[in-house]
Amino acid sequence: MPADRRLPLLLGLGMIAFVVGATASAQVSPLAPDKAFRFSARALNPHTVEARFNIAEGYYLYRDKLRFAVEPAASGLAVPSLPSGKIKEDQFFGRVETYRGNLIVNLQLDATVPGQKVIVQAESQGCADLGICYPPNIQRVTVALPAAGSAPTRPDEVPKKQWFQ
Amino acid sequence: MGAAAVVALAGGIALAVWDQTPRDATKLLALSLPDTSGQQQSLAQWRGKVLVVNFWATWCEPCRKEMPEFVRAQRELGPKGLQFVGIAVDQRDKVEQFAKELDLNYPALIAGYDAVDLSKSLGNELSALPFTIVLDRKGNVATTQLGPFKPDKLRATIDSLL
Repeated sequence: MPADRRLPLLLGLGMIAFVVGATASAQVSPLAPDKAFRFSARALNPHTVEARFNIAEGYYLYRDKLRFAVEPAASGLAVPSLPSGKIKEDQFFGRVETYRGNLIVNLQLDATVPGQKVIVQAESQGCADLGICYPPNIQRVTVALPAAGSAPTRPDEVPKKQWFQ
Repeated sequence: MGAAAVVALAGGIALAVWDQTPRDATKLLALSLPDTSGQQQSLAQWRGKVLVVNFWATWCEPCRKEMPEFVRAQRELGPKGLQFVGIAVDQRDKVEQFAKELDLNYPALIAGYDAVDLSKSLGNELSALPFTIVLDRKGNVATTQLGPFKPDKLRATIDSLL
């Protein structure tokens, strides 16, 4: 082979080896659950907190596994009304409802006072289309309730943690 | 310029080899968990087999989808020393029902999340399901799989160990 052909060939082979090496060790690489299911909450008024999940594309949450709690317990959280999800006929479980994209749940707090701080806790369970399911995930945010008659507050997000990726 | 090609080649080989660090299955083999009939089963009883430990749950759809292939492999290669063990992070009655539907031919053990957390040190940082660990006959970790185990990759791994 002429000398000027050998170099690009070697470089090409080297790159192929690199890619093969990379894919040989690669398996599914799911997002950390706090990234796949971004949880935030903001107060609409002293008695209503809007809880929100921004669910990444390719991920979904189970409706029947969604739970909310508010601290202090004396805040008087009413049983939340969950929106309808997408219904799927599951071979084993029958009718299963899931959420994708943006999910908003309004939490009614019957016993809070204006200006009070509450902690909103969401427990959720979801899976990724690429083929994994996560254990139950608990996410908490602190929300400052506004003074009576003021505008909705900025959404407080789950503090970003250092994940392995 | 020739050095760049050599570096790329070396990098490729290094990357293919880098995660061959030995992983310890001692804690896994020390597990003792109840099966669906409530009887305690110790994983150590299967020492000497090619052991495929699969963490799963009935509520995990990708987990359920791959199990018929495991049943097939167990039927064909069980006589040669292959042993699947399912560890379900789940409720006993649901596991029992699904095991019946599938005609499960390998043990289904019941565990809590502390069992899945064992798999963190074996590459499952998120404690996600399904997660599968293949041990050779000496009890060393041969490979792990996060997410569905492609049938051809599963068979190739098992064949190389039997």
